[in-house]
Amino acid sequence: MKQKNSLPAVFLTPAIGILAVLALVPTAYAIYISFQNRELSRPDGSFVGFANYADLFSDRRFINAIGVSLTWEAVTVGMTLLIAVGLGILLFECVSPRMRNLLALLFLVPVILPRVSAAFVWKFAFHPLYGIATYPYKAITGEPLDLLSNPATALATVALVDVWQWGLFFAVIVLKLLETLPPQPFEAARLDHARTFEIYAFIALPMLKAPLISLAFVKMIESLRAFDLIYVMTRGGPGIATETLDMYAFSQGFIESGRISYASSMAVLMMIATTIAFTFIWKRVQ
Amino acid sequence: MTARTLGRVIGRLILGLAAFSAVFPMFWTTLNAFKNRVDIVTPTPLFIFEPTLDNFAYVLGRESVFAGLVNSLLISGTSVLIGAILGLPAAYAIARYPNRWSRDIQFFVLSLRFLPPVAIAIPLMVIWLDFGLYDTRLSMIVTYSLLTLATIIWLSVPAFARVPKEVEEAARVDGYGPYAVFFRVALPIALRSLIGAVAFAFVLVWNEFLIALMLTTSDAKTLPIVASELTQLGRDVPWGILNASVVLLSIPPLLFIGVLSGMLNSAFKRKTQ
Repeated sequence: MKQKNSLPAVFLTPAIGILAVLALVPTAYAIYISFQNRELSRPDGSFVGFANYADLFSDRRFINAIGVSLTWEAVTVGMTLLIAVGLGILLFECVSPRMRNLLALLFLVPVILPRVSAAFVWKFAFHPLYGIATYPYKAITGEPLDLLSNPATALATVALVDVWQWGLFFAVIVLKLLETLPPQPFEAARLDHARTFEIYAFIALPMLKAPLISLAFVKMIESLRAFDLIYVMTRGGPGIATETLDMYAFSQGFIESGRISYASSMAVLMMIATTIAFTFIWKRVQ
Repeated sequence: MTARTLGRVIGRLILGLAAFSAVFPMFWTTLNAFKNRVDIVTPTPLFIFEPTLDNFAYVLGRESVFAGLVNSLLISGTSVLIGAILGLPAAYAIARYPNRWSRDIQFFVLSLRFLPPVAIAIPLMVIWLDFGLYDTRLSMIVTYSLLTLATIIWLSVPAFARVPKEVEEAARVDGYGPYAVFFRVALPIALRSLIGAVAFAFVLVWNEFLIALMLTTSDAKTLPIVASELTQLGRDVPWGILNASVVLLSIPPLLFIGVLSGMLNSAFKRKTQ
């Protein structure tokens, strides 16, 4: 049924060719300049071998950034899934199908907003004097509440915005997944007087194990792109309390010193770490 | 039985709160965009006030915002067009003509999403500087085409796979060649899902921030960059203007919410059948 024709080659070659060039050239170039000592102010540099990489491991800000990034990954992925599963089940359990569709549409609003918009909207909501989110605290205690300038709460506050965007979106997906399940196991469990909680914990969620793991995987990749939120809301501050790896690489390569070779070595390490981790997870998910 | 009803009421309450949290922040921002500064910097949030159009007039009248808008439309529009023209046929070929490389190609396209944007942006900055193309629309379009192409291929493969094989076979029996089958059968049937994929790619590049921040400084700045610069202003913050520019930035993606939710629905419909 499949005859020889030119379509696959004609359709695939330009797209894959362009993708390969656009992806591999910068990647190769990043590795190349990471072995040099180029800076933005000087066009030329010389090869320094692994010096940049060696420096990274004695750089306290780099170690701090690894910690912040890992914390960010764990908190945003965990909270997003928790909220998504909770709200998804409530959507499935508590409201009529028409209401469900309306709520599902509303839940999509945060994730569609540009992250710069979401970041600003919440930055202003958390403003210690004029913010609407901090107003109740101010009205009750008479004290202003400045969450974004406090090193202990800044990262959690930014993470809240990320979870707001993704948790509500994933709740809609969990709802759609629940709707695809066959109803028979649920009815059988109800007849056996299983409680609602037990039905979800022991029947529905185990049935959805594979798609839920895929969701976690997608969120892990997406959480690596925290830069926009952090840049607008805290710029990595106060101090370096919210400085993730991409934020630190950006400030090294761009704002503070223009050390593009140093920043590239960081980027290359990130690339290697994420590619290994995600390839491993992807193969296991398959 | 009463415990069940109580649980249902609490559940609805939580859902109501979640829905409120989903839309209220943007609603509040929109209200603030129509306020004079004195109505924003109040000790108690104001819901009733004298609306003003000054903020929008100021934002739209500013050259930097207008230039950002034009840049965003041109850069996002062109890169999405390139992504669609090259990506849709490629996705069709992957879905319909599987060969021994198909899985590797799909994994390669997906793996582009693993790359930290900062890892792409730093070398690209140096490359475009060397070519003399730094801070141009052309370099931004080429860079964004990487994002749109990968996204459109990734989302369109399942859309083409959902087109019933029998319909394509029937067209072939009627004497359609492989290209005619693609253009006159597969493309129209999958159109709805494909529009969703293309809209998603548009929202993605319209909202993109980090790469634009590193690859532009003045001429090719996109709207998110311009808006974020406004949010970093100093002491006498023009809050009304900020809110207005955020509203302006958020309108285009929100226009696509219906298309994207339709895409979600059709993506999950197949499994129920």
